[in-house]
Amino acid sequence: MKRILLVWLSLCLLLCACKLPNTKPAKLEKSIAVPKDGIVRAETLQKLKDDNGVTTFYGKDGDVRYEWVVFGSKINKPRDYNLKVKIQSQGDSEITFSIADDFDFAPTLSLYLTEKWDWGTVVVTTPDGTPTTATLTADKNSIINVTVGKAGTYTVALQKETEAPPEKTDEIAPEPTAPTKTQTDSKPEKKKPAGSTSSTGKREYSDATATGQDKYHTDPVPQGKPLPVDKPTVSAPSDSTSDTKTESQCTISIECSSILNHLGDLNEEKLDVLPEDGIILEPTVVTLVEGESVYDLLRRICDDFGIHMEASFTPMYNSYYIEGIGNIYEFDCGSGSGWMYRVNGWYPNYGCSRYALQNGDVIEFRYTCDIGNDIGGGVVSE
Amino acid sequence: MENRDAFSSYHPAVTFLFFGIVFLFSCICAHPVCQLISLFAAMYYYIHLKGKKAVGFLFKGMLPLLVFPAIINPLFSHAGVTVLRYLPSGNPLTAESIFYGVQAGIMLAGVLIWFACFSQTVTADKFVYLFGRIVPAFSLLLSMTLRFIPRFRQQFDTVKEGQSALGLHTTGGHIFRRIKNAVACFSVVVTWSLENAIDVSDSMKSRGYGTGRRTAYSIYTFTERDKTALWLLLLGGAVLFFNLLSGNLFWRWYPSVSGLLIEPITIFTQLVFLLLCFMPIIIDKREEIFWKRLKSKI
Repeated sequence: MKRILLVWLSLCLLLCACKLPNTKPAKLEKSIAVPKDGIVRAETLQKLKDDNGVTTFYGKDGDVRYEWVVFGSKINKPRDYNLKVKIQSQGDSEITFSIADDFDFAPTLSLYLTEKWDWGTVVVTTPDGTPTTATLTADKNSIINVTVGKAGTYTVALQKETEAPPEKTDEIAPEPTAPTKTQTDSKPEKKKPAGSTSSTGKREYSDATATGQDKYHTDPVPQGKPLPVDKPTVSAPSDSTSDTKTESQCTISIECSSILNHLGDLNEEKLDVLPEDGIILEPTVVTLVEGESVYDLLRRICDDFGIHMEASFTPMYNSYYIEGIGNIYEFDCGSGSGWMYRVNGWYPNYGCSRYALQNGDVIEFRYTCDIGNDIGGGVVSE
Repeated sequence: MENRDAFSSYHPAVTFLFFGIVFLFSCICAHPVCQLISLFAAMYYYIHLKGKKAVGFLFKGMLPLLVFPAIINPLFSHAGVTVLRYLPSGNPLTAESIFYGVQAGIMLAGVLIWFACFSQTVTADKFVYLFGRIVPAFSLLLSMTLRFIPRFRQQFDTVKEGQSALGLHTTGGHIFRRIKNAVACFSVVVTWSLENAIDVSDSMKSRGYGTGRRTAYSIYTFTERDKTALWLLLLGGAVLFFNLLSGNLFWRWYPSVSGLLIEPITIFTQLVFLLLCFMPIIIDKREEIFWKRLKSKI
């Protein structure tokens, strides 16, 4: 009886050893070269769909290397696709290319340019005029990530900055009508090496004459950029602003498209939560609450949109540190990865809960895989 | 206390190997089904060993252990795709962190109950028998420590009674008074234990400890049934760890819950684990049936 049991068990062990290759078939390679004719077979895409993985198809046209990032979960009907990309013209702020096939899903195309563009917002012109998303990242030179759909010619151009941030000082919403009340609430003003800040939402700009760090280890703020504002308390706007409140608005966006260019470094478990175009929140116009900081706004927006966000307060810098948004955390894509924020095209050198927002500010949260160098927020590039 | 459990009468190596496999597997494997199997088997075996009075301990002692991590984990861990709501601290409360907390609680309770079973089954003399020759110093230390705990308690009770006779009660009176008296008792017992340690070492020295090889009296023989059990354990353990390492018991809690559940190989491995966990009970029941059959023949 025992012998029979033993034999039976050893047979089972053998069986499961033999069964292993069937239960876990080899996965599709992480990156595949686009063939000469550009046709990627339906079988390959079917396999990618079955794997539920992500694969990049790379190719080259002229000097420009391109890379398709295809998520298996997004493929609807696998068929033969032509992934050839033709670069028609390339400049220092504009690139035109064409793709040969219509997609029923939206793959992301990354173009590795041979030049380094200025950092800014990029806009795409699609063949049929449907809006699509594009982001600018970099390794040595610029990389453009575009979500494509229809066949035809696409143009990606760098949007020129039109307004300088300091001019906006005049547009600040008027002070609350009962300033005396706010005044009594606030603590005595703290003198800082780089200048002083008032306790309300009004911020001052640096003249860059200060030399040392402030008490929260912040280096001097560049000229013309807003100084950090340290709120004495969590100040909910008081009843005083009931009728004079003007609608202040901001634009906020959250994206992590740089990961698409560093898929090899990504923690595999985070593949499920990575958006296929790298965009967690498209640029969204939101109403600003008086006296809100960038952190306050992010927290409120994440709550409203049901986006996951984790942050922790760091007393040393008197600011919140964003650990993860949308379950993509710091260090998930290499040791130099994490979240950074940019307001009006500038990556502030202080924490996001010290940045007081004003009407018309454009806030971007971007994920870096290389301590900011890939998204224009590197220390050296400033 | 006489132990009537049949598995306890097996060779110490077999019982020790059994617990080794179960501990290790319960701690490493994150698969919730395996955790549940482990917890239920541990509870069943513990009640089997200690009788009905163990049920109260399991519910009073282990239920908080199950609930505690489920409450604590979401407060510190905020990863997970299912955001239920935002906590006042500004961080999200996620379903995944609650699930993970529950799983951690099950693991904690399961392993602790297994340890309770372990101390019932693998007694100090068996432990010394197993490790006396490999790590003599450690096993001597362990057996002395294990012996010391009941001795300390006994001495504490004696001292307490003596102090009560003097009117220094620890059972009645003002709370500070009681604490003061208890501390006095404790101080007496600590002094006694230090003195006792010197006595023990003197006694050991005068009996020639350290002059030669130490022998131990043991009555354990490795019989045919031990051999079978050992092979079954080794085989079962090999199946479990082979499948665990090759990812057939894959389970992930963060950022989203996913894992293998109805794959044939996963179910097979879980069945093996179930059989392995219930092995002491199966052995005991088998023995019981055997005994009854023998009795009915008479």
